[in-house]
Amino acid sequence: MQNLDYFFIIQAWPLFLKGLWVTLYLTFWANVAGLIGGALLALCTTGPYRLLSAPAKLYIEFFRCTPALVQIVWFFFCVPILFDVFWSPIFMGVVILGMNLSAFNAEAFRAAIQTIPRAHVDAAVALGLTPFERTAYVIMPQALRYAIPVLITNGIGLFQQTSLVALVGVDELMYNGRLISTSTYRPIETYTFLVLFYLAVSIPIGRLAAFIEARSDRALKA
Amino acid sequence: MTVLQPFVWGRSMADHFLKIRGLEKSYAMGVIKVLNGLDLTMTSKDRLVVIGPSGGGKSTLLRCIMGLENIAAGAIDINGEPYIGADNGATRIDRRIQKQIGMVFQSYTLFPHLNVLKNLTLAPVRSRGVPRSVAEDRAREIMRRFGLDQKLTAYPSELSGGQKQRVAIARALMLDPKLMLFDEVTSALDPELVSEVIAMIIELADGGMPMMIVTHDMWFARRIATRVVFCAGGTIAEDAPPEEFFARPTSQRARDFINNVLHANAEPA
Repeated sequence: MQNLDYFFIIQAWPLFLKGLWVTLYLTFWANVAGLIGGALLALCTTGPYRLLSAPAKLYIEFFRCTPALVQIVWFFFCVPILFDVFWSPIFMGVVILGMNLSAFNAEAFRAAIQTIPRAHVDAAVALGLTPFERTAYVIMPQALRYAIPVLITNGIGLFQQTSLVALVGVDELMYNGRLISTSTYRPIETYTFLVLFYLAVSIPIGRLAAFIEARSDRALKA
Repeated sequence: MTVLQPFVWGRSMADHFLKIRGLEKSYAMGVIKVLNGLDLTMTSKDRLVVIGPSGGGKSTLLRCIMGLENIAAGAIDINGEPYIGADNGATRIDRRIQKQIGMVFQSYTLFPHLNVLKNLTLAPVRSRGVPRSVAEDRAREIMRRFGLDQKLTAYPSELSGGQKQRVAIARALMLDPKLMLFDEVTSALDPELVSEVIAMIIELADGGMPMMIVTHDMWFARRIATRVVFCAGGTIAEDAPPEEFFARPTSQRARDFINNVLHANAEPA
């Protein structure tokens, strides 16, 4: 076994940090997109309009039933050619990761919307709320609280999935890690450090999530 | 016009306050008929108690009046104005009239993510354009009147069942309804909590609020009703003042029903 040397990491530190920054950037914006997209998709699937619900269901099935890596590769290679658009790799990453997360979050929202008692909707109608007002003030605020545990799980999952876009040249944490490992010939140290890096971010986010979850649980005890 | 100003119903027509003609409602593509050409009129002085066997269409009747159900045929007029009508399979509802009707349900329907004050002010502020401060003042006034002002900042989960139903009634009153519908509002309550809810409804009745009540509580029915209607098989099988109804029901079905209910009340299992 070769001698392990972790000191070179100090030199590679800026590159790691740059990668981490991109990873967090991707995670944040893809989650923003995924929350909005997921909520809209869930409203389409649970709503009364077939013209909206059928394509939304198809979208969700498509993204849930194909590997994320395949989606990413397809998106990066085919979309620029098919639609003649050239976006920065990071923006492309945000879009495709956000599209993927939207499908999973849509299912979380749909399940949450369906746990809201039918009687609440009746009461909202009896109070004269319009369909939009019912959705905005009665259904979605409750659904969001019910969905929080799954949304957070999905969000943390996405943080890990951002590593997939390294394959198509987005210089996030994984990509930079590979760069470091090949340029220093120190794969064991680099990848070990990489795993620790992901852990060091995931665990605090998970803890924070559990805390938020506990708080929203208290607010919804009916 | 804000909801806080009294809405003026048509001038005369007191005897046709509510008029239901040939109301039909079915589920499962017409296989199960719940309302079967139901006719009913109500004056603005009436407090109508609807009783009858389960599955007889009582709750469905109230839900139709509230505009929560699509109807297969028939029409509902309020003060001589068409309110709900069936139109080639579609249900037309005049939303302006619908807003003058309040309803309280059997299950608790306070929105759990909002505290009591927000539950009360949601519809006035968000839907009717009442300024928040005006709506909150009115909420405080209503809650004080019914002895609930300690609970303004409580969440529904912190209330007893009886308090939840009283707040639900208060929430409906925020919109200044001209007709209140109560659908078995005490059925889900523990027995010792029933009386506080009934007391609140009686207080409303004494204030002159027209109401239609579905209940299984015969004492309550007798106490509050100006008229009792017996709803079975999707039609009104009997319609009489309470004294008469309970003493001398004319139809056999009503007689059987009353015997069963009174018997059950006298000798609890």
